[in-house]
Amino acid sequence: MAIAKAERLMNLALCLLGTRRPLSKRELRGSIEAYLEAGSDDSFNRMFERDKDDLRELGLVIETVENLDGDTGYLARRDSNRLPPITLDAEEAAALGLAAKVWQQARLAGAASGALQKLRAAGMPESEDAYEVHSALEPRIPVHEAAFEPLMLACRDRRPVTFDYRKANSARAEQRQVEPWTLECWRGHWYLAGWDRERGAERVFRLSRITGKVRSRAGAFTAEVPDVVTVRETVESWAGEVATRTARIRLRAGAGYPLRSRATAVRERGDGWDELEIPYGHGLDAWLVEFGPDVVVEEPADLRADVVDRLRAVAKD
Amino acid sequence: MATNAIDQTRRMLSLVTYLRERPGAHVQDVARAFGITEDELISDLDVLPMCGTSFRGGDLLDIDTDGDRIWWHNPDDVAEPLRLAADEATALLVAARAVATLPGLRESDRDALVRATAKLETAAGESGAASSRLSVTFEAEGGVFADVDRAISERRRLWLRYYSPARDELTEREVDPIRLFAVGHTYLEGWCRLTEARRTFRLDRVAEIRLLDAPAAPPELELRDLSAGLVQPAAEDPEVVIEVGTGGRWVAEYYPHDSAEELPDGGLRITLRTPDPASLRRLALRLGGDGRIVTPPELADSARDAAREALAAYEGAL
Repeated sequence: MAIAKAERLMNLALCLLGTRRPLSKRELRGSIEAYLEAGSDDSFNRMFERDKDDLRELGLVIETVENLDGDTGYLARRDSNRLPPITLDAEEAAALGLAAKVWQQARLAGAASGALQKLRAAGMPESEDAYEVHSALEPRIPVHEAAFEPLMLACRDRRPVTFDYRKANSARAEQRQVEPWTLECWRGHWYLAGWDRERGAERVFRLSRITGKVRSRAGAFTAEVPDVVTVRETVESWAGEVATRTARIRLRAGAGYPLRSRATAVRERGDGWDELEIPYGHGLDAWLVEFGPDVVVEEPADLRADVVDRLRAVAKD
Repeated sequence: MATNAIDQTRRMLSLVTYLRERPGAHVQDVARAFGITEDELISDLDVLPMCGTSFRGGDLLDIDTDGDRIWWHNPDDVAEPLRLAADEATALLVAARAVATLPGLRESDRDALVRATAKLETAAGESGAASSRLSVTFEAEGGVFADVDRAISERRRLWLRYYSPARDELTEREVDPIRLFAVGHTYLEGWCRLTEARRTFRLDRVAEIRLLDAPAAPPELELRDLSAGLVQPAAEDPEVVIEVGTGGRWVAEYYPHDSAEELPDGGLRITLRTPDPASLRRLALRLGGDGRIVTPPELADSARDAAREALAAYEGAL
C-alpha cells in the first residue's frame, strides 16, 4: 500500500527540522521510506518539490544551500522556525477559540484550527467552559463562492489573475485582467477590490458574479497598491445606501416598518396615512414599489415617475 | 470536516510538541485540547511511530497508546513550537478582528480579543502581513443584541415586536432563545411560542425587545448546521417559477433556488420553492418590467392587482 501523504510530509518535516547541516536530496531520499518507494527519479523529484511547497504552506521556512560540490542541500533552521514566545491568559485563549470557529471555508477553517493547535502546543491554556462565561454569540463567515480560495491566494501572493465576470444585469460574462488587492465580506457576500488592467482603474467585483475559473498570470503588479482600499463604500453606493436627496412619501398607517425606521421625519396626517421623509439614493424606486398600494410617492417628480413606470409594467401583465 | 494530509501534518507537528511536555497524557484530554475527535487522534498516533529523522537509522518517534494514555519513550528536542504560517495567521487574525467589531459583544470578551490579537500580531511577525488583505464586517445590529445575549445566558424568555417582510407587518410574540449567530446579518434562533415552532429572527427586523421574567424552556432540538445555508426549503414546499430579463438576473444571486435556466434573450427562468409563495408578491412588484411570475398564477394575479391598486392613487395627478 502506498504510504500516506501525511506520513511522508511529517517525515520530511522532521528530517529538515532535525538536521544541523543541509541535507541533499539523495540523503533525504535515503532516509524517508516513501521516497525510496517513489520509483523513478522523475516521480521522486516531482513528489519532493510538491512536498516542499506543502511544508512551506504550513509555515516551515526551508532554506536551500549550495555546498562546495555544487550540490543543493535543504534544512529548516530551528531559530527561523520557532514560534516567538507568546503568553495568553485563559480569557484570551477562549476569545481566540471563539474566533477560530467562524470560518466556514475548509482552507481557512483548517488554518485557524492549525494556528490554535500551534498555540496550544506552545502552552496556551485550555478553558473548560468557554461558552458558559462568554457571549452566547456564534459568528460565522460564509464562503460559498468558488472564486474565493484562488483569489485569497492571489491577494496573499500579489499575483495578477484573469477571470470571466458577469456584470449585475448582463447576460454575458467578459474576461477581466485584475491585480487583486483585498477581499472583503459585507452582508454575507464577498467582494474583491483590485486594479483592472484594461480599464486602467480601481474596480470592485462581487465574487458570486465571477463565472468559471480564476487563473493566475505570471509577472508582478503594475499599479501601486493603495494603503487604504474602500470596498465597502463602493458596495454601499451600488446598494443605493449613499443618499444624495430626500424623498417625500405617503405611507399607510401601520405599514412599511423598515421605511419608518429609515425615515428622517414622520408626520401623521390623520386620514389613515402618514407622511415620511426618506433619504433618496439609487434603488429607492424599486424598494418603494415592493410596498404596492401602501406607498404613494409625493416628490421628487422623477422618483414618482420611476415608481409609476414600474407599477405599470406589473399592472399590464 | 474531512481531514486532509496538510491539516493532519500540521496537527501532528503540534502534537509532538504538546506530548513532549505531557508524558502519559490522556487521549480524551489531548483530543479536546486539539479540537479533534478521539478517533482522529488515534489515527494520528498510528502514523507518528512511522515518522522520524531516519527510518533506517531507527530514529523513529517511539510514541504509543493503550487507548487511554499516551507515552512517548524517546522524546527529543525536534519538537519545538513552530511559527505560524501565513494562512494560519491570516485565518485567526481576520476572524479575531471581525469578531471584535461585533456590536453588542460583551466588553470583557472584546477586551480579551483585542489583547489576544495584539499578542498574535507580534508572534506572527511577517506571517501576519497578508492578513490585512482579507476583512469581514458583521452588520451593526447592536441595539437588541445585548438583550438577546443576556436572555440566552440567563435562560429567560423574550418578548419581540418583529417585522415580517413577507407580510409587511409587525407581530408581537414570545420567544425562548436557543442561539445567537451571525452570518452576514445577526440572527436569533428560538422557539416561537406564537407558532409553537423553531424560528429564525433577523435582529435588524426586531422593532422592540423586552426580557421577560419567565424562564425560557425551548424543547430539546438538534442545532441546525449553519454551513448548509439559512434557507433550506422543504421538498413539499410549493414551487414558484419566475422568468426574468437581464435586468432581473440578480434574483438568482439573492434567492436560493432549485434551478436557473438561461433564456435566449439573456434572461433566466428560475425555479424555487417556498413555504409561502404569497411572500414573493414583493419580489414580483420589485421586478417591474424585469421579470414576471409564471407559476403559481394566484401570485401573478395578486401582484398585478396590487400594482393596479397602487396606480389608482396616482391617476389624475400625472
